[in-house]
Order: sequence, then C-alpha cells, then structure tokens
Amino acid sequence: MKLRIDHREVEAEEGMTIMQAAALLDICLPTLCYRKGIAHHPSCMVCVVRDVDTGRLLPACAYPVREGMNIQTHSREIHDARREALELLLSDHVGDCEAPCRRSCPAFMNIPEMNRLISSGQFTEALQLVREEIALPLILGYICPAPCEKACHRSSIDGAVSICLLKRFTADDISRLYSGLLPSIERSGKRVAIIGTGPSGLSAAFYLLRRGHLAVLFDRHPEAGGLLRYHITEDKLPRKALASEIEVIRLMGAEFRMNTLITKDFFDQVLLHEYDAVIIATGREEKQITEDFGLERDEHGLKVSRTTLEAHTRQPEAGTWNPEPGSHGSRVTGHGIFACGNILHKRQMAVRSVAQGKAAALSAVHYLKTGKPGSACHLFNSSFGRLNEAEYGEYLKESGPASRLAPAKGFMGGFTEAEAMKEAARCMNCDCRKLSSCKLRIFASEYQAQQKKFAGPNRKLITKSVQHEFVIYEAEKCIKCGICVEITRAEGELKGLTYVGRGFDVRINVPLGGTLREALTRTGKKVTEACPTGALAFKIGNHE
Amino acid sequence: MKEYTENIHEVVDRIVSRRGHSADAVIPILQDIQHEFNHLPEEALKYASQITEISEAGIEGVASFYSQFRRKITGEHIISVCTGTACHVKGSNLVYDALCREMKLKDNETTDAAGVFTIEKVACLGCCTLAPVVRIDTVTYGHVMPENAGDILVDFLKRGKQLVKAPANAAPSSALKGEIRIGLGSCCIASGSAAVKAELEKTVAEAGLQVEVKQVGCVGICNQVPILEIVKPGEDTAFYAHIKPEEVKQVVLSHFRPEGTYRRIRSGVVNLFENLMADEAPRSVQKYMFEQRDTPLSLFLSPQVNIATENRGIISPCDISEYRKAGGFEALATCLKSMNPQQVIDEIKASGLRGRGGAGFPTGRKWQLVHDQAEGEKYIICNGDEGDPGAFMDRMLLESYPYRIIEGMLIAAHAVGAAKGLFYIRAEYPLAVMRITEAIQVCRAEGLLGENIMESGFSFDVKIFEGAGAFVCGEETALIASVEGQRGIPRLRPPYPAVHGIYGKPTLINNTETFSLISWIIRKGSSAFAGIGSERSKGTKVFALAGKVKRGGLIEVPMGISIRRIVEELGGGIAGDKQFKAVQIGGPSGGCIPASLADMPVDYEALSEAGAMMGSGGLIVLDESDCMVDIAHYFLSFTQNQSCGQCTFCRIGTRRMLELLEKIRSGEGVAEDIDKLEHLARSTHAGSLCGLGKTAPNPVLSTLRYFRHEYEAHINGHCPAGKCAPLIQYSITDECIGCTKCAQRCPSDAITYKPYEVHSIEQEKCIKCDICRQVCPVEAVKVI
Repeated sequence: MKLRIDHREVEAEEGMTIMQAAALLDICLPTLCYRKGIAHHPSCMVCVVRDVDTGRLLPACAYPVREGMNIQTHSREIHDARREALELLLSDHVGDCEAPCRRSCPAFMNIPEMNRLISSGQFTEALQLVREEIALPLILGYICPAPCEKACHRSSIDGAVSICLLKRFTADDISRLYSGLLPSIERSGKRVAIIGTGPSGLSAAFYLLRRGHLAVLFDRHPEAGGLLRYHITEDKLPRKALASEIEVIRLMGAEFRMNTLITKDFFDQVLLHEYDAVIIATGREEKQITEDFGLERDEHGLKVSRTTLEAHTRQPEAGTWNPEPGSHGSRVTGHGIFACGNILHKRQMAVRSVAQGKAAALSAVHYLKTGKPGSACHLFNSSFGRLNEAEYGEYLKESGPASRLAPAKGFMGGFTEAEAMKEAARCMNCDCRKLSSCKLRIFASEYQAQQKKFAGPNRKLITKSVQHEFVIYEAEKCIKCGICVEITRAEGELKGLTYVGRGFDVRINVPLGGTLREALTRTGKKVTEACPTGALAFKIGNHE
Repeated sequence: MKEYTENIHEVVDRIVSRRGHSADAVIPILQDIQHEFNHLPEEALKYASQITEISEAGIEGVASFYSQFRRKITGEHIISVCTGTACHVKGSNLVYDALCREMKLKDNETTDAAGVFTIEKVACLGCCTLAPVVRIDTVTYGHVMPENAGDILVDFLKRGKQLVKAPANAAPSSALKGEIRIGLGSCCIASGSAAVKAELEKTVAEAGLQVEVKQVGCVGICNQVPILEIVKPGEDTAFYAHIKPEEVKQVVLSHFRPEGTYRRIRSGVVNLFENLMADEAPRSVQKYMFEQRDTPLSLFLSPQVNIATENRGIISPCDISEYRKAGGFEALATCLKSMNPQQVIDEIKASGLRGRGGAGFPTGRKWQLVHDQAEGEKYIICNGDEGDPGAFMDRMLLESYPYRIIEGMLIAAHAVGAAKGLFYIRAEYPLAVMRITEAIQVCRAEGLLGENIMESGFSFDVKIFEGAGAFVCGEETALIASVEGQRGIPRLRPPYPAVHGIYGKPTLINNTETFSLISWIIRKGSSAFAGIGSERSKGTKVFALAGKVKRGGLIEVPMGISIRRIVEELGGGIAGDKQFKAVQIGGPSGGCIPASLADMPVDYEALSEAGAMMGSGGLIVLDESDCMVDIAHYFLSFTQNQSCGQCTFCRIGTRRMLELLEKIRSGEGVAEDIDKLEHLARSTHAGSLCGLGKTAPNPVLSTLRYFRHEYEAHINGHCPAGKCAPLIQYSITDECIGCTKCAQRCPSDAITYKPYEVHSIEQEKCIKCDICRQVCPVEAVKVI
C-alpha cells in the first residue's frame, strides 16, 4: 500500500507500522519502548508522529500503516510532544547520569571510574583516565579545594571519598607520571603560542601536545609555574611536584621561552604571524596586556561575547559535558586567539584554570583543523539532588560501610597503594552504568529536555538490587517499557520479571517475593542489554 | 504451619479443578482464593502457579493490578466507604476520616487493633441517591455523616449475624386480590427494603391475605426508597415511600382491610410535598397515588420514556413468564424467523442507535464490522464494567432486566454470527451477578440459550466474567485483556475488537444499556426509536441523577431533553435553597457544564462541544457550595488512581496534574500553575494511548473553561465555595447559645467553651471535620 511520510511517497506492506514504513525512507524515529523481535506494548510515546488528515498524534512504533495515510514526522508540535514525553519520564526517573562528584569538578574528571581503577589496582590506567581531563593531577592533588568531595553522596553518610588524594596518588610515582605521555599520532606541524606558564597555560600546552600540535610557552618569569610557583608556598605544594609536572610538559615536546615579556609589537608581528593560534594564559595580574593587544575588558576580566563563549567552550574530544559555560577557556577574536585562566575571571581555583586551559586548547585544536569554532555535544544530565537518609543503606550495598581513611603518612605524605585501594573502594559508584548507551539520556539531549520541568513535590526513594551475580537493578530509573518482562517471558524464565501494581506506582519486579538471581537465571545479559535506561545494568564492565 | 500449607493446597486444588488450568482462569481463581482466605496468601499463589499454566509473573501481575485483590489479611469485617461522586460532594472524605478516628487508626493503618474492622475506600457502591454511603460487609448504610459515623459501627456489631429471613409466600395465585411490589435493587436493599419485604411477607402470611408480594427490580425512584407499591383491582395504585419495617403492617392492612389505620396515614400526606427532599426528609411513610398530578412522583416519572427500563417497577426481574407476557423474546423470534442478519443490522442502523457506553459509536456500524468478518468463531460481550464513580444504570439494568439484556445479546449474536457471549460485570455488583446467573439458567432451561434456539438452527450461549476492580477495564481492549487473564492494559486500536478481539477473534462489545434497547427497536420498529430524541442522538438515555437535587434516582429520558429540565423537573431543583451551579456529566471522562448553559440538550455532540461527554450516564448536580477545583481534583484523583500505568502521559501526566491541583487546592499555587496545568492537560489528552488517558483531563479542562476564576481565587488564597480545608476556617458566631454540644463532639478538643456562653474554636487544633457545624442546633458554626 502507498502512503506519504513527510511528503514522500512510500510503498509499505500491509501490517507494517509507521515506524517500519518510515525506515524504508531512512527516516529514523526515536523510541525507548520498542525493540525489534520483542513483543511490543507501546508506552513511552517518544515516537509520536502526526496523522495530517486527523491531526492526531500516533505512536509510530505500533500504529499500522493504512492506504493513503499522510504522516508528518517533524514539526514543532511533534518535537514538543516528544520532548514532553521525555520530560514526564524524567520527572519520574530518579538517578544521576554523571555522579555528583564529576559534575561538580570544574575539569569534569571521571572520578568514579578513577576510583574503580584504583580499587582494582589498575593505577596506570587510573592516571591515564585522570589525564583525559586533568593535565596536572599531582599538583592539584596538593592544592585543589576539592569541590567534588563536597558533592560526594557519601559525605552525608560517613565522610566523602578522599578523591583529591586518590587523584594525587595516581600521579605520585615518577615512572608512572612520565609514562604514556604522547599517544602515537601524527604531528600536525601547527604551532600554538601560549602566553603564560601558570596552571592554565601548562594545561593548554598538555592538550595541544597530546593532539599533535606544537606548544610554545612564553613567560616573563625565569621559571615556569606562574601562580603555582610565585603564589603558593612550598609547604602547600612541594617544589618537586611542580617541577615533575612541568617536566611532563617538557617531555611531551613543549618549548619554554622564559624571561620573555610580550610586547604589543611582538604579539602583533611575531605571535600573530608566526603561529597558527595564540592562547592567552597570562593570569589576572597582566592588566596591561589586554589594552596592549587591543582586547576589551570588563569587571570580570577579559571580555568575551557570551554567544561566542557558548559555542566555543564545548569539549568535543575530551569530556562530553560542559558543567558551567563561561568557566572554560575561550576564543576571543576571529583570528585564532584564545584565552583561559585568571585573565577571564577573578582569582579562581587552580582546577578551574586547568579546566579552562584544556578547553582553550581543545577550541584551538578544532580551529586548527577546521578554521571554525568547535561544535557542541551538550549531553543531558539527570540528577536527583541530595541522598535521603532512607537511601544510605541502598547506596552502601555495594561498598559497605567504612569511614573515610586518612593516610598514615599524613596529608602531605599521601596514600600508600593499600590505602588508596581501600579508600577508592569506598566509592559508591553513583554514576550511571549506562552513561553513553542510555537511550533516555540520548533523546533527552537531542530534544533538549529539562529534567525539572514536571518535577513533582516528592521524588521516589532510590532502591538498588545487587544480589544478582552481574546485574544491578535500580527500579527508580525504570521507564516501565516492559521489554525485560517480555524477554523473561519469551525465554521461559521460571520466575522472570513482571509488572507489579498499577498506574503511577507500577514497578517491574520479581514475582511473589523472589530474588533477581532467581528471576534472571539465563536472561541477565539479554535484559540488561535491552533495557533502554540504566535501570538494569551490568555491575562492572559498565562505564563504557 | 505444615497443616496450614496443606490446607491451602487442598483449597487451591479444589478451586483449580473447578476453574480450570488455563492462563485465562487466573482472575476467577484468584477471586476464589480470596473468597476462601479473605486475602491472597503467597503460598496459595505459588501453589496455583505450580499446578496451572499460569506463571508466577502472570499471577503477580494480575493480583497486583486489580484493586479487588488483597495481599494482607484484613479485619473480620470490611468497611467500604463509597467515594463515588455523589458521596464525595456530600462529604464522604469527612466520613472516612471520622470512621478512622472511631477505629483509632494511626497514619496509613486500615485495620483496627482488635482486627475487627478494616476500612477501605471504594470507587462507587452505586447507591448515589443515599450518599454518603458506607457498606460494612453486606449491610449498607446511607446518609452517613461524620457526626454519626461511630453509630453505624455500633449498629453493625449489634446486628450480629441475625439476618432477616423471609417466610415463604403461601397464597395460591388464583385467589389473588392484589399485588404488593417492593423494589429490590441494590439501592432499595441498601435503604432497608429487604427487611421491609420480610416484614411484608410476614404480615401477609399472618393475616392470611390473598396478596402477592412481588419483588421487582429497581424502580428508579431511588430518592424515595424503600418504596412499596400496592396494586389492587378497583383502586388507584398507591406508593408508599420511605417505608420502615414497623410501618408495613399498618399500610398493608389499610388496603386489604376496610378503614382502620389507613386514614391515619393518609392524613399525613397533605403536607408531604414541601418536605420531600430526599436527603432531608424525615424517614417516615409517604404515600402518593399514581394518578395524582404534580406529586414528586409524577414529576419524576412523567418526563421519562422507558425503553431500556420498559415495565419498570412492574415486572419481577427473574420471572421469565412475566417478561414474555410483556412482549419479551418476541423481537428475538421475529429476528430468527423472518429477518436475516443483514436485515437486523439495517434495522439497528436505521434506528440511529449509538453506543451507550459513552463515545457514541453507531451501533449498527459496529455490528456490520463484526458481521463482515470472515465466518468462524466470533464473540459478543456485554460490557457491564460500570466504573464511573457516579453511575449505576448498568447495575440497575442488569439487576432488573436480565432477560432484556440477554435478548439484546441474542439478537446481536444472530446479526453478527457469534455463538459465544460473555457478561463482563463488576465484582462490586453481586446482586447483578446473581440475577444474571439465574436468568441465564432459566434461559437455558427454556431453550433460549444453547443449541438450536427457537428451532432456528441458531446457537448461542453466554457466560459471566466478574471484573476484579479496574475502571480501565471498561475500555474494550483492556476488558479483553482482562478476560484473557492478563492485566487490564488497553492496547492500541486499530485493530479494533470487531476485527481482533478475544483470543484474536472478531468480537462485538456493546454496553449493557445498548443491549437493553435492542428488543424494543425490533419490536416497535426503527422509526419509532428514531422518532425519539434529537437530530444526531436518537432514542433515550438512562442517567443516574444524584448530587444536590431534591430527587435523585435513575431516569430514562429522551435524548435532546435539556439539562435544565432534568435538574429542575425531574430532580425537583436544588435541595436546601442553594444556587444551582453546574452539572457534572459523564463522570471522570466528562466535564462540568455550568448552570448558564443548562438549556443545552442532552446530545452526544452538544455535550462534547461543551467540553463534557455523554459518558456512561452519571449526572451529578452541583450547587454553590461545591468547589470546582475540588471537583476537578476529585475526578482526576480517580482517573490517576485508575490509570493502568502503561503510557507515559497517562501514568505520569495525570499524576503531575493531580499534584498541581493539590498545590492549588491547598492555596500554595502560583498563577503559572494554572497555565502549567492546562498545558499538561492538553498534552495528556493528545499523547495518551487509550480513552481513559485521553479523556482524563476533561474534568480539569472543562472546569478551567467555565470556572477559571475559581482557580484564580485559590491562587489568591481563597476557596469561594468554602470547601478546600487548607483555605477555610471554622468559627462560631455570636448566635451560639452555649449548649456545649459541639465541644462534646469535637474529636480534637478544639472548642473552648463555658456553658451558656459563646464558644470558640482554637484554629491550631481544629481538624476541619465539620462535626461542630453539623451538630450545632442554631447554625452558629460558620465556614469562613
């Protein structure tokens, strides 16, 4: 039979759904509750399309095609309806995508994953992971005020995980610190000038070098480090640590031009001409520079247009999430000039400067490649706020109770391996185990859904079912699509899963008081892979 | 413990051998288990799964879906507080709270410490005219007020197990000198008609009167029940309303013996017309003569046209010979002998009959669809899953006219080519189940069900399926799921049941009332039916009229009659000198129509355009003391609670709407909340999968449309109707005579008092239970 989808005619077979017919035209419709080969009960309503003749919204995943049908799959109305379906689901989806520690880290360090690697003794891998987001883990391991620890869900139970010290631990070994610095990628031959060798400048250099560009750092001081050297005292930050991480940058191939004051002439004639891009990381003190270089200032620092800022602070290569637009480095003019660090804002945490250095570098990298600003990948992030006291037990199910460990050698001494493994194991793994495969997150990002739009006065309390060998079930993340129920039924599980209750309070659970282990005797892998959200996830090997 | 388990296994074995092992037996099996054990013991469920084809997942899914099923043991007696619409507007929540206080329940407890009573809210007991209604086990109490809520517990325990047993009526029918009819619909029984009947039979037997005591179905005049009708040759038919057992003897003897007490009662009739408000009138005998004009009875009855309720109050529900005498099964005979299926369908099409379940789909077209499916197994279902919390017409029809419905189904079966039929009846309607069961047996015995009916070669038989408490099962695809032993989850249509119904077979599902109209149409002709009603809506509609009218009851009116006539003529206007504000029509799927639009005709399209819906026929009249935000909240909390939970918009959208309404109702709303509510209501309408979700926003949208100012008033911290507890205060005026009555009854000791001085209420302690206002003899307690 013939029908029209988005003004295009398509020949579909009797019994096909609109979604199947649309696929013939390569129109891919979003859906959460539909999964090929599994008995289907349309429920999520994220796939709605419009019947042009009746004006009705139809679930494309299940609605059968009809001769002469006229279907529209894109419009403001459809987009809004899909977004609202997602927003309603999100209002009842209690869970964090990224863990609160990671969200509160200006550099967006993947803390839970670092903890998991440390606790399993994979220290080199842990350092590699940390360096994805933080260029100076050893330095920050001494001086970071650790906003992540304030956000740690465990802080309200028996003390936050000692994240900052664990991060320092990953870098607290010279041979580890100097290993695996440069990925084997082709050198681009492009040169980027970085003015300033403080935390943001060093960080910018690190990420430029990692991506195959040459970084040349200029500083009017005789030694590199900026505020790290000239503001922070040695009792807080051992000079050895500072030197080691500057050495890392040098080993990666950075050139340091010390005792070099940048004049306007030098800026205009040398930097702008001989370099492919310039990153200004001079710090707050260098007031003169903006005027010299013809840049504007406002009360916060260097003036950057908000819209430009939005567009250029994304981190396409590294993180997938931008916690706070404006906190990152930014391109300031159309000539490949970027800025980061204290010049953008009043005195700030070193970790923020490090984050901005990374962002400025990544902006520059994108610019060098395309001549255009970097593109966004602003992923949706679910977050439920504080833990309720009634949830402490649920969260402790995997890690068990243990109070925060203080290193025997004291703060400056840091953790031993055994201590680090023990402390890292306290991490409650608050991040979702389907961070990048959760369809709810993917569509929420795509449709720019707001989690709080339909928030009710009370959220459901989080439960975690962990007794299955390798599956963890977090019911409050479930969207009740029933795919798992159908799989356990079709595969003939003796107990399987079922819907329990009705209406708003309906849950997926094991029938008659059974356990998840009894329910999923051989379908554990299948249901977990099929679950469109993080409700059913693999306990480990997750964290894709 | 071992013994207990063995006992369970034994019982379950017995049940399963009776109900079968197949997956679709799950609901009847669970019902039987609960009947045996008062709840569903886990061991019984596990065992049932072991010995049947039903999986544990299936059992758990079903047992947790339907509200009838309980997993915990309850008290010895169940108190069901009706929270239907009529009861709600008359304060059932306060009654519930009062009962909880009497039972000394703490938060969320439902069973008292001694395990005597368990209290629960039920959607509708279908006794709307007696609102507020409370049922304890099988005893129903009407007009329960918070103030006397404790009394009914005492009364119930006093009754013990002594149920009135009726002596057999011995009079030979040949010598009958008259007939005394007593209505035995659920409302009548709730109001005490069983005791009246027993007394009646006793009197007749003792006095040796040659009179037939006849139980008839619902008379519809629910506002006057228990009602006794005395038919005596040579005398006008006399009705006695609100009769009590102790008054029966006097009344009966006055008719069947010269003079005596008769005069004494008659003298009381004169001033009855003024105090006939159903809910306010003192409970004493009231008598009307049938022919008398302008009596409340004639006003109530004369605008009605009885098709579905033909011979109302005359025929005995299960007496097939009476039904035959009144033309019963003639239509079936006509169809079987002289009409082929297509002719029958054409006749129904010509009548203009539309489905009485609410949406108004043309019945003839539905029949045609099923008829046109390839021959083979086809099913017919009578949808008696009346879940609307303010409607009880299906119950009344099932209880009172079982043969008429069966005849309608037989005709439909002949027309569409179905051999199997099913009555789907709410579990809350035990009397209806009983009557239909009896009628089916009689029909089988008479050859009206079974093989080769009326020697025509046509065969058809019918079974009963008892629903298990889920409003959504009124939706036809959910109903089918339920019959198949699944959770009552609607599925997407198309395919429609006419094509793909029970077990995938073509299935005709019509509402009870629709089937009740069929035989009349065939007998009197489609044009007679089409001659009644409006342009687009033909025939009659049965409504359950309740709420703030003087006379509530079951009415069958011609389509096209104005709402105002229903309220003012049939209903006798608003009780208690209040202002008529609106009618809520169509229940949770319908909407509120303001008094200013009351001249609107009752017609499918007119009602829909006004934002309401014909619905199944609940018609609740509201007065100035009804808060429209509260009404919207009431209906939405009903649908929200009844949502199956499948699709996003209904499962979560209705919940979020309800939360917004709660916020507004408690005075914490802000102006944007109204817009947010309206927006979400429209999205939920557009995005829900089935009719329940699509129509759930109607009560909100219609009240927003006509009474937006009331929402706005709540935002400003004011409930104009004085209904929303967080926004009102009770206070005592200077009219207080210092009688201390209120202080004595106040459950929270919130009233400070000195005898003979004006009392006052401590606001911090007041729980707004309304008892002080009810007991005050001089109306000195005001809501501000």
